[in-house]
Amino acid sequence: MDLVQMQKSLQDYTKSLFLEGILDSQFLQLQQLQDESNPDFVSQVVTLFFQDSDRILNDLSLSLDQQVVDFKKVDPHVHQLKGSSSSIGAQRVKNACVVFRNFCEQQNVEACHRCLQQVKQEYYLVKNRLETLFKLEQQIVASGGMVPAVELGF
Amino acid sequence: MEFKSAEEGRIEKFPVGMRVLAVDDNPTCLRKLEELLLRCKYHVTKTMESKKALEMLRENSNMFDLVISDVEMPDADGFKLLETGLEMDLPVIMLSAHSDYDSVMKGILHGACDYLVKPVALKELQNIWHHVVKKNIKSYAKNIGTSRQLLPPSQSDLVPGVSKKRKDKVNDSGDDDDSDREEDDGEGSEQDGDESGTRKKPRVVWSQELHQKFVNAVQQLGLDKAVPKKILDLMNIEGLTRENVASHLQKYRLYLKKIDEGQQQNMTPDAFGTRDSSYFQMAQLDGLRDFTATRQLPSSGLLSRSHLTKIQPHLYSSINLQGMNSSGFIQQGHHQSSSNSANPFGTYHSTLPPRIQNVNLFQRTSSPLESLQFPRSKCSAYMGDFKSIGDRPIGGGFVDSCMSYGSSSTSLPSASTNTLMLQGNYTQPLHTVSSVNQPCIEKTLSNAASPNISVQGLSRLPSQSWQGNLNTTRFLSNSSPLNHAFFPDQVTCAGNNLGDCSSLVSAGNPGGGMQCEPQLLGGFLQNINSLDGQKWEQQNCSMVNNTFGNVEYPLPGDNMVFRENNAARSKGVDESLMSPIENSGNVNSQEYVGKPSTMVSAEMMKSGKPENAHIDNQNQHDVFDDIMNEMMKQEENNGMVSVAARFGFDSFPPP
Repeated sequence: MDLVQMQKSLQDYTKSLFLEGILDSQFLQLQQLQDESNPDFVSQVVTLFFQDSDRILNDLSLSLDQQVVDFKKVDPHVHQLKGSSSSIGAQRVKNACVVFRNFCEQQNVEACHRCLQQVKQEYYLVKNRLETLFKLEQQIVASGGMVPAVELGF
Repeated sequence: MEFKSAEEGRIEKFPVGMRVLAVDDNPTCLRKLEELLLRCKYHVTKTMESKKALEMLRENSNMFDLVISDVEMPDADGFKLLETGLEMDLPVIMLSAHSDYDSVMKGILHGACDYLVKPVALKELQNIWHHVVKKNIKSYAKNIGTSRQLLPPSQSDLVPGVSKKRKDKVNDSGDDDDSDREEDDGEGSEQDGDESGTRKKPRVVWSQELHQKFVNAVQQLGLDKAVPKKILDLMNIEGLTRENVASHLQKYRLYLKKIDEGQQQNMTPDAFGTRDSSYFQMAQLDGLRDFTATRQLPSSGLLSRSHLTKIQPHLYSSINLQGMNSSGFIQQGHHQSSSNSANPFGTYHSTLPPRIQNVNLFQRTSSPLESLQFPRSKCSAYMGDFKSIGDRPIGGGFVDSCMSYGSSSTSLPSASTNTLMLQGNYTQPLHTVSSVNQPCIEKTLSNAASPNISVQGLSRLPSQSWQGNLNTTRFLSNSSPLNHAFFPDQVTCAGNNLGDCSSLVSAGNPGGGMQCEPQLLGGFLQNINSLDGQKWEQQNCSMVNNTFGNVEYPLPGDNMVFRENNAARSKGVDESLMSPIENSGNVNSQEYVGKPSTMVSAEMMKSGKPENAHIDNQNQHDVFDDIMNEMMKQEENNGMVSVAARFGFDSFPPP
């Protein structure tokens, strides 16, 4: 695949993520903060997000598996996940967190379990997509090309 | 403006290089924030730990220009950091994922310069430097002693309604000078926080004590010879100006006049004729006490009048509550004292629009009228009379309201159950009312045992006037305190109309002996009824709006309508007010103030015109003023009748 094609693929791929609602404008903002002086900003932040989220999801699983669920512990985790997902633009994860929090407030353990599953699902999805995105970018860069700026036309 | 970076020793054009301390326990968010800040060309120091941030701040007070911090950090309290920053006079911006009103409010109340909701946009961060500038300007101003005032915009925006109301008030009634003057006059014992922003001078709040002193001085001098200067001298209150006294005196005179007129016209002129201080004292049931506190109503006019009511501690309060939108009532409420009874009115009166008061009263009491049953049978009879009046915002209202309030407030002096009751009940609300937007009134109202309230108040009064005849004369003599008590209320509330009503009401209220003079009331009621309800409504509305603007009336069950400028609120109030009225049966709710919520209209409506609408629109602050003005006007025009009509006391039986 030549460079142009790769760049095109990347663009299309990125667009699709937005169109599917997996990513929102916050991700764009991240991308805009990236420049020559800061070439890895997006992947840096996203990596942080992955690390943080893995940890949180783990903690959440543990908390919800307790005999007596301590919602006071569950809620802050969900809140944190909501915050970070929203800051990088992982829209679906964020939305799932919102639902999760509501059930936390209601102290509905059953529903919270389902929410956790939902959140995980969305998280793995976005993680997968973003990893693919970064790979595409790396390929382009490896081929000597420049990662095209994100089009905001859609 | 230039900012020198201490560490780097370079001079950059501000805001470049502005030193920001960023705190957030979420690494993803923090990294992004840092980048955004860097993009704005600020110098960023970030940390995930609040403790570390605090250390850094304390270590060197001059290390940062601005702090931006997340508030919800599990291991730390963002507010603590905020406080520290404030101590050091640093602008602190709060960050949060929560955008709900309460959270934002909390942040702002804690002193945050700004509150940003995550995720934060670059543009928002690009503007944060102005917070630094603001702070610097302030200290600059202080340092060089410049007189330039840097009023935060919020202050001037604080009570746009107030100034507007004032204007409205002026426009509405011819009686504007009183209100306006009252509002603009010098220092008062209390200041209406809401209005201070717009007013240059603190408003004089005529608390019960203050009013009592005033009355004492006037009596000492003799009403005819009472001149502001002399009164001022006798009162010997520091900070009180001749102007304050002059405008207060004017209002007082009007009030008295109204009472007299009202009595002559409707009920027993003499009933109200005498203004016994005793009456006032009686009125000073607890209920009134609270007025002072609540003096929040912007409608200065009303307030000023309310101090008149101070004399009658309870009665006034009740009256005020009842319907006299006049602040007067409210003031009464705040009568000085009445130590015990909560001065529902007292607290209210400043805040509650008289109109609302009435309504509330009515509503509160299950049967406002009943409570008014003045002494026919021991005040209950009277109450009855009042009932009709009570319905009306003015007399009736008050009575009823008193009643309702009375019951709630335990504080009402036992003296006359009725009067006390009135006041008592009101006091409670008043207490609550005192705080702006307090739903106290509502509560109190609901609690009020109701009927007794008014009765209580009345009972306080020497029954003489009540005894038997509702003639004004009788009332005057006996219930002078009541009369007085009500007078202010009445006057204030309905503005002109109230005047008439007030007399009625007062007559009723004094119930002193709780001997309600049904006739008196009846007459009053009739008059009232015949009055054009509209005016009342207007007044009520405005009153309600205004009066309750700041106060939350614990209307029976309803939300306090009296929130400031809260249309919805007033609505609430109306409703609550209305309810008691309903109970009483004769409630002429119609006018209930401004946003005649269903309740009000339903109840008030006795007389028939439930107009609620316009009042709501009025500035809440002006409620009392408006009411007073209205009353004044009406007084002049129709005497009691107009008042009654205004208040919708259509049901008043013809005298």
